[in-house]
Amino acid sequence: MNSEAAPAMNRPSPIDADEAALIRAAQQGDQQAFERLVHAYDRGVLQIAMNLLRSPEDAYDVYQEAFLRVFKNIRLFRLDSSFSTWLYRIVTNLCLDQMRKRKTRREESSVIQTEDGPRDRLDSVVEGRELGDPQRSLMSRQLRSRIEKVLGDLTDKERLVFELRHYQGMRLRAIGETLGTSEEAAKMCLFRATQKMRVALGDFV
Amino acid sequence: MNCESVKKNAALFLYGELTIEEEQSFQDHVEACADCRRNFETEKRVQAALNRNEVDVDPALLVRSRRDLALRLEKAGTRRAGFGEWLRRLSDLRIAALARPAAALALVALGFFGARLTTSKPAQPLEVAGATEPAVMRVRYLEPGPSGRVHLVVDETRQRELSGTVNDDQIRRLLLAAARESSDAGLRAESMDVLKAEPTAGELRPVLLYALQHDSNPGVRLKALDALKPYGGEADVREALTRVLLADDNPGVRAQAIDLLVEHKGGMTAGVLQQVVQKENNSYVRLRCQRALEDMNASVGTF
Repeated sequence: MNSEAAPAMNRPSPIDADEAALIRAAQQGDQQAFERLVHAYDRGVLQIAMNLLRSPEDAYDVYQEAFLRVFKNIRLFRLDSSFSTWLYRIVTNLCLDQMRKRKTRREESSVIQTEDGPRDRLDSVVEGRELGDPQRSLMSRQLRSRIEKVLGDLTDKERLVFELRHYQGMRLRAIGETLGTSEEAAKMCLFRATQKMRVALGDFV
Repeated sequence: MNCESVKKNAALFLYGELTIEEEQSFQDHVEACADCRRNFETEKRVQAALNRNEVDVDPALLVRSRRDLALRLEKAGTRRAGFGEWLRRLSDLRIAALARPAAALALVALGFFGARLTTSKPAQPLEVAGATEPAVMRVRYLEPGPSGRVHLVVDETRQRELSGTVNDDQIRRLLLAAARESSDAGLRAESMDVLKAEPTAGELRPVLLYALQHDSNPGVRLKALDALKPYGGEADVREALTRVLLADDNPGVRAQAIDLLVEHKGGMTAGVLQQVVQKENNSYVRLRCQRALEDMNASVGTF
C-alpha cells in the first residue's frame, strides 16, 4: 500500500557538502558556482511560478527577480540554514505578491499565455490516447476544467501549500519553514485544499 | 482510526505525511472497512487526476530565463568584482612599507586603466552573432601593458545547433555525454528521457547505472532508476539497486529501488530487504520494506 505516495523530490534538505562548497564559492564572488546553484534549482522555480501564475512572462519575471535577490544577498546567507528553503521563500513571496496584485486567483481561466500566444491548457494537455476518442477527450476536458475551477477557489496559502507539496514534493515541515508558518498550519492548509479537490472531483474521477 | 479520521487523513497518507503509527492504523482500518476502501480508491484517483494537470515548463522558457539571468549576473558581477579584482592584484604585489608612495601611484595608474577598461563597453560577456563566432567570451585574466595596451586571457564558448534523431551517431554520442557529464541536472535527466525512448540500451545502460549510483541530484537518480525499469531483472541492475537501497541518502530513491527490486524478485531480495529494515531510519521506507517482505511471506527480521 501507499505506493502512490509521491517521492520527496526537490524538498528542502540540510545543505550537503557539494552545495555548501558552491554557496561558499558564490559568496566569494565565483559566478560559475552561483550559476551551478541556479541550475540546480531553477527548473523547480519556473515550475512553481508557472503553476501559480499561469503566465510564462510572469514566471520569467519571478525567475529573474528571485535569483537576482539571491545573488545580491548570498553573502548574508548562513550555511546552517537551508538554501532551498530560503530560495523558495523568495519565490513564493514573489508569486504571492503577483497573485495579489493581479488577483489571478479570481480571474483564472484555462487559457494561459505561452511563448506562441494564448493557448487553452485544456487543449494542450489532452493525452495522446484520448485524441482518437471524442468521448474520453470531452471527459478529460471537463475534469481539467473542474480542477482549474477548484484551484482557483483555493485561498492563496492553500494554493501555495498544495503546489509545494503535490507538484514540488516538499515535506510539510519544509513548506512551513518556507512560508514562515508551522508544520501543523501547513498540514491544515493541505488538508483543506485536498478536501476541496475531493468534493469537486470525487464524483468525476 | 475510525471512518471519519480515515476520510480526513487519506490524502495525507498518500503524501506520506502521517506518522508510522498513524499509517499502520490507517491501513488496518482500510483493510477492514469496505466503505473506506472505496473512498480511499477515489482519493487515489483524485490525486492521479491532479498529477496529470501539472503545467510543463517550456524548455525554451528555461533557456531564455537562464541566458538572460547569466547576462544580468555578468553585469552585476562585473560591477561588484571590478574593484575587488584590483585590490587582489595589489595585495599580490606584496607592497613593502618603503614602497608605499610608489604603490599609491600605481593605484592611481591602475584606477586610470581600470576606468578606461570599464567605462566604455562592458568587457564580458561579448555576445557574437554567427555560428562560427564564439557565442560567449568571458575574460578570465587581464594585464595592463605599456602604451594603453592590455593583455587578455579569454574563455570562449561556441554554440552550434544540431538536430536529428537518437539514431544519429553524433546526436546519440552528445546525448550520452550530456546524460553522463552535464553540470546541469535538468539536462542530464532530459537526455536520459530522450535516450530511453530508443533502443540504445547497450550504450545507455552503463550511463544509467552510473547515474543511479553516483549522480549528486536525487531527481536524476530517480530518472535513471525509471529508465532502468525494463532491465530490472538483469544482474547488474539488481546489484546496483541493492547498493542504492543500502547507501542512497534519499528516501524517495530508496523507496523506488524497493519497488523495482520486488517487481523482479530474486533469491537475495528478501535478505536485502531484511537488512534494510534493520538499518533504515526513514519510517516510510521501512514500512515499504516490511510490506514487501509480508507480500513475499518472508519474516521481517533476520534470525
